[in-house]
Amino acid sequence: MATWIVVIISGLAIVLALFSGLRSQLTQSNEGKAMAFVGLLVLPAISVWFGFEEQMTRAESTKFCLSCHVMNDYGKSLLVDDPSYIPAHHYQNNLVPRDHACYTCHTDYAMFGTALAKMRGMRHVLVQYFGTVPKPEDIKLYEAYNNRECLHCHLGGRKFEEEPKHAKLPNMMADIKANHLSCTSSKCHDTIHDVGSLKDATFWKGNLQ
Amino acid sequence: MRISMAKALKWSSLLVVTGLAIQLLCLVYIHPLSFITFLSVGCPLVGAGVVLYLFGLLSQGSSNK
Repeated sequence: MATWIVVIISGLAIVLALFSGLRSQLTQSNEGKAMAFVGLLVLPAISVWFGFEEQMTRAESTKFCLSCHVMNDYGKSLLVDDPSYIPAHHYQNNLVPRDHACYTCHTDYAMFGTALAKMRGMRHVLVQYFGTVPKPEDIKLYEAYNNRECLHCHLGGRKFEEEPKHAKLPNMMADIKANHLSCTSSKCHDTIHDVGSLKDATFWKGNLQ
Repeated sequence: MRISMAKALKWSSLLVVTGLAIQLLCLVYIHPLSFITFLSVGCPLVGAGVVLYLFGLLSQGSSNK
């Protein structure tokens, strides 16, 4: 939903609602009643719905996730000039959409994944303002990273399916696909954000989106 | 409890306009606080305005009988 559509509908609703409230005698006529109905019920409802859609879309943006101070280092880690950093490799090579980089990997690709991510986000805001904010390097995932999130894109991809290292052991590929062998903690792709080591890292010159 | 239509329109308008103004303000910044303000302040204000307007309509309808 484009922001300007929300602005136009909200603006129109505000004008009609003001007219209905300040000139209530106008609502004696049928036209006035229709105006009040549109200005105080129809347009506000549409406006809130579109506004909600817009806010939900924004909540998936990289800019939104990195707007809290504690996330700064995680943003920086996307620019590390080292392809062994999995998020940096994905971000810099457009393997994930840069403007939705965090959400692409950190939402559960399961039913209610988006809703669950939002609920967790609410909790993070509460901790940010009313709790004790941990050091960036102490932030951990709620549960071990599920291969499902990687396979959402990689499953069926030639590079993934035909990679000899993925077939080093019998049943290895089946174990990866069943999440019995983690992509990120099996000494294969285990350099993730690694924010504790950023002070020694060199950075790509690209910008965060 | 009954409420005059003029009063309902006035208060409903005030609530809807305030809620929508907050919604517009929340669009200025891309930040979790904007998201939360929209959900916890903007939406309830608009919702209360709409409910009050409907309540006014119902009150007017029952007093016309």
